[in-house]
Amino acid sequence: MTAPYFAKSLEPEATGPLILALPKGRILSECGPLLARVGIVPAADYVDENSRRLRFPTEDPDLDVVRVRPFDVATFVAFGAAQIGICGADVLMEFDYPEIYAPLDLGIGACRISVAEPASTAGSDDPARWSRVRVATKYPTIARRHFAARGVHADVVHLTGAMELAPTLGLARLIVDLVATGSTLKANGLVETEVIDTITSRLIVNRTALKTQPEAIGAWIERFRRAMLPA
Amino acid sequence: MTDDLPDNPALLPAGLRDLLPPDAETEASAVGAIMNVFAAHGYQRVKPPLIEFEDSLLAGSGAAVAEQIFRIMDPDSHRMMGLRADTTPQVARIATTRLAGAARPLRLSYAGQCLRVSGSQLAPERQIAQAGIELIGNDSPEADAEIVLVGAEALAAVGLNRPSFDLTLPMLAPALFDEFDVHGTERGALARALDRKDAAAVTRHGGALAPILTELLLAAGPADRALAALAAAGLPIVAEKLAERLRETVAAIRRHAPDLRLTIDPVEFRGFRYHTGVSVTIYAPGRHEELGRGGRYLCGDAEPATGLTLFPDSVLRAAPPRQARPRLFVPFGQDRAQAASLRAQGFATVTALAKTADIQGEARRLGCSHVLRDGVAVEE
Repeated sequence: MTAPYFAKSLEPEATGPLILALPKGRILSECGPLLARVGIVPAADYVDENSRRLRFPTEDPDLDVVRVRPFDVATFVAFGAAQIGICGADVLMEFDYPEIYAPLDLGIGACRISVAEPASTAGSDDPARWSRVRVATKYPTIARRHFAARGVHADVVHLTGAMELAPTLGLARLIVDLVATGSTLKANGLVETEVIDTITSRLIVNRTALKTQPEAIGAWIERFRRAMLPA
Repeated sequence: MTDDLPDNPALLPAGLRDLLPPDAETEASAVGAIMNVFAAHGYQRVKPPLIEFEDSLLAGSGAAVAEQIFRIMDPDSHRMMGLRADTTPQVARIATTRLAGAARPLRLSYAGQCLRVSGSQLAPERQIAQAGIELIGNDSPEADAEIVLVGAEALAAVGLNRPSFDLTLPMLAPALFDEFDVHGTERGALARALDRKDAAAVTRHGGALAPILTELLLAAGPADRALAALAAAGLPIVAEKLAERLRETVAAIRRHAPDLRLTIDPVEFRGFRYHTGVSVTIYAPGRHEELGRGGRYLCGDAEPATGLTLFPDSVLRAAPPRQARPRLFVPFGQDRAQAASLRAQGFATVTALAKTADIQGEARRLGCSHVLRDGVAVEE
């Protein structure tokens, strides 16, 4: 006897609210006006970095917001834990998850990912002659790829913050990091020597979620797209 | 001190696992149910070997999985052998060699295990079960529709009644690139942007093609909306032909299964490196893995063919749990004929090998829900 399989068609489709993952920190405040135009109104404490809550309901019962570290936005969306997210193109460049679609450039959080070094050493020798260079960064993939394209092997010192300290304390010759205004670099005696790429924030969606819930996910993409059109 | 992993006999290499009760039985019976549906539709089973010469394994459509093949030197012939990472190239080899004289269209099915060198972070498995069909020697929308319909029926046989079929045209984007003279590194960058549906990068690298591609990018979704977008896109003639074939395939599927959930992603081409026409990926709502994949390809570089592979591991993760066969404890010295008749009713009988005082306790200890008492199965 072959035991029967239960018919799944009898159960209602698993619904539950969609999850929108937002990055803590720099981009979060810039997200506010955009979310308002899209019509997403999360519980008020979502911008409060001191709030211990991580998941926030919105006025739409079919959408919840989670607030995680910027790098984790990509991971949550790649694994389908969140269906939609907002994160910087730098994170997408670094992780390169094939499960993430980036259908919309939101134009917020503009900055650049750059190479910087102490003002004292900048221009002192010719990088084309290097075989290898020690780089402090929280973007090991981007740094390695950037220098590999120039024929230079990057020995990466992987840090998660305070990169600007690395050259002056002898940890690395260069750093690769996000630069918005350049004031942090300047305060630490560094100069930007090369722009690797310009960065803005993207609306990202999980590939499988778009395939299996095209109506719901498509509608959100459309709402973000409309919200970005000049009024 | 070393960095070696702790030496525990239970530890397996990455991406491999032991299947335990009851999952191993569930898998075997699910594959059986799937293969039954294939057989009922006239697909005859073949069983290629697990390992064969690298040259034949990688010929034609096999080249697409070349970097995923485990290789072993054959001490006998001193030639390099490869472990299959995908079964379709082997079935194609059979169809063009040993079964070259068999009547077309040729319908073949297979089930077996494949190995690949590396998993991904999201799908770390390195041993993957496959159960599939190949329909060889016919190039028509009806054939494209048949593999989708048979696939849907096979999934229904394991209780998955609401799969979602995502149809794609892997040749559409390359046809547009050719038409608009996109070549070299720009082509690579644009293909990558399309693959990630990165609208900003498509705009940056797309040039004159960007408006069409962006439109098609956003058209991904329910079949009707996507077909309408394809029709409105003003495609050049080669691309338009591909779109027309997709329209006919959708119509053929709808004729036989109007309620089947169909989506279309016109510019997707991921994972279809040997596919040449209408291709399909199967999803289940709320699951983050593919249940199966298939599409049109060239069998032996010349013959039109299409096929579909289901991945029983992910199918079973998406399928509802299967009702376990109830276990019946047969105390020592009970009539064996009675036990046999209860087996025929669907019980798994567990026969005591020695006399026990506490029959009920012993039954529970061995995971039995029923005990044979006076010729009848009594639930404890």
